[in-house]
Amino acid sequence: MDDRPLSYPLEGTRAWGKSLAGLRSEKAKGLALSAPATVYVGFLVAAPLVILVAYSLWTQTYVSIDRTLTLANYREALTDPLVRHLMIRSILIAAAVTLATVALAYPIAYFIALKAQRKTLWLLLITIPFWSSYLLRVFAWKLILGFNGVMNSALLGVGLISDPLTFLLYNEFSVVLTLAHAWAPFAILPIYVSLQKIDPSLLEAANDLGSGKVQQFLRVTLPLTIPGIIAACLIIFIPTVGDYVTPSLVGGSDGKMIANLIQVQFGAANNWPLGATLSLLAMMSVGFVAILFVLSATGLGRRIR
Amino acid sequence: MTETNIIQLQGIEKRFGKFVAVSDLSLDLREGEFFSLLGPSGCGKTTALRMIAGFQEPTEGKVLIDGQDMEGMPANKRPTNMVFQSYAIFPHLNVGNNVAYGLRNRGISKSEIDTRVKEALEMVELGGLEARGANELSGGQRQRVALARALVMRPKVLLLDEPLSALDKKLREQMQFEMRHLQQSLGITFVMVTHDQYEAMTMSDRIGVMFDGRLVQVDTPQTLYAKPGSREVASFIGEMNFLPAEVTAETGDTFSISTPGFGAMKIEANPNVARHGRHISVGIRPEQLEIARHKPDGYDGTVQGVVRDVAFYGENVHYHVGVEGLDKPIAASVPNYFHTVDHAPGDKVWLGVQAASVIDLGEDKQTS
Repeated sequence: MDDRPLSYPLEGTRAWGKSLAGLRSEKAKGLALSAPATVYVGFLVAAPLVILVAYSLWTQTYVSIDRTLTLANYREALTDPLVRHLMIRSILIAAAVTLATVALAYPIAYFIALKAQRKTLWLLLITIPFWSSYLLRVFAWKLILGFNGVMNSALLGVGLISDPLTFLLYNEFSVVLTLAHAWAPFAILPIYVSLQKIDPSLLEAANDLGSGKVQQFLRVTLPLTIPGIIAACLIIFIPTVGDYVTPSLVGGSDGKMIANLIQVQFGAANNWPLGATLSLLAMMSVGFVAILFVLSATGLGRRIR
Repeated sequence: MTETNIIQLQGIEKRFGKFVAVSDLSLDLREGEFFSLLGPSGCGKTTALRMIAGFQEPTEGKVLIDGQDMEGMPANKRPTNMVFQSYAIFPHLNVGNNVAYGLRNRGISKSEIDTRVKEALEMVELGGLEARGANELSGGQRQRVALARALVMRPKVLLLDEPLSALDKKLREQMQFEMRHLQQSLGITFVMVTHDQYEAMTMSDRIGVMFDGRLVQVDTPQTLYAKPGSREVASFIGEMNFLPAEVTAETGDTFSISTPGFGAMKIEANPNVARHGRHISVGIRPEQLEIARHKPDGYDGTVQGVVRDVAFYGENVHYHVGVEGLDKPIAASVPNYFHTVDHAPGDKVWLGVQAASVIDLGEDKQTS
């Protein structure tokens, strides 16, 4: 009984010490857990990026690299009409792919989220194209769209056309078509999630307040899925601008994109500094367009009342 | 005064596959009344409300609003508006645009929309909050926005689906009075669905009690409490002690009965009860019982027992008294007049009741 007053400060100290130890180990645990990712990102993303920036400020002199810092590459890239042309084309193709994919994905996501009974099965079916490699899928499109391909043979066989169609392959159209197919699941999923999150009573409330089906969609469903649409657009747009495989396989000369030019700089042209500059410029353009898009899309969404 | 029926439900039934959610529901609602559908969860009351709103079509029967058959009429064309249980406030719109939502569907001029939104928000005491975001509202404010958004449409009938269940007790009680006042000043028919008997009783002109998809009794709150039509209604609304009783003589509207414990009494027949046999069930509300240490004078029935449990509620004290010959203790509730708890478990006490407080509940299914 009489040792009780004594035990209070002791207990207090112990508790304090314990909480401090707990904090220290919390921090240590946090560091330990994030270390692998930090090291990974540091070595494989940050470091290469620094090297890329460094290269872009150097110049190629035939066989060796001149390491004096200069903006000459940027000057050259920005004044070269070919670069500008390819950059604009890349952005336009990516925009077309994004638009086509999201427009096609939205009804599918809508169906799965709001109408389908077996959602998991449908989501599984959507991922089926991923069971084969990206390269194989691009080749498959080549077979379908080619001069003697599936599409032309079928149309010839049915007698709808007398000569094979040549506009199917090796142009912007085939690039857009192939990419839109490849990216479809990436558009469906974020839109599906945003549709899934909508409280059904919101749609009933809109209906109750006099909105028909179309108004309900335009005034409630659409504005509430804008975050999903933005996510889908960015997921597709950003990697598509820099896509290299599809334009080189099905793009022909009309369908070439900026990534093909960058590849040439690192390969045949052997001008790494210019390649690095073009990569960074592509990154910046994509970032700029993406930010512009996010701002205008959210702005537009806010105006729907 | 002639009363018109704003809503007529004519034998409506709703089946989901084999499950019958609402069966043979017929009900007339008067213009300007506050009507509540009361029942435990899953009794079909919300389904009934949704059939009036137009979110569900009855499998059988007809819904008439203002004399017009609503068959095939979608919710957006009906003269009803609803306050949802979750309030369904549009998260992407601010308060003003939430309230204006329905008006914009009607092609009303912008200036009139602004005036009506302002009026509606002032009516629910949210004046000046037009620009407030939907996510910056408290529970009570969300409820008021939902109310304003529906009332701004000037519906013939306002439908309320458990409108207060998401609020805390204090706010709920305050809103009960406010909504009642609002309804009376607007003169619009309110139809509310609730599982809370107190909510239904404090707000409604009439209450319809539903069990298992059936409407079992429609009456004023006072009548429901004093003359419940069955044992299940009696036990759902308020607390009730049930006692078996034997009818010894029947003269017109009064019975002579004998109950275990309280003995012989003359009680009034309950017009809401359909069948009477020799063995009936009677009910006594806990607050109608007198509890005393000595045998109380002037009561029609008295019985002695032993206190088993005491529950102190603050405003009143509940005693559970075991009486010989009854398997369940009798609950007696006494107002806390003098801040004293007079009896303790184990005490011998007397219970007294007036014959007028003994409610005839018809045939006792458990003994017959």
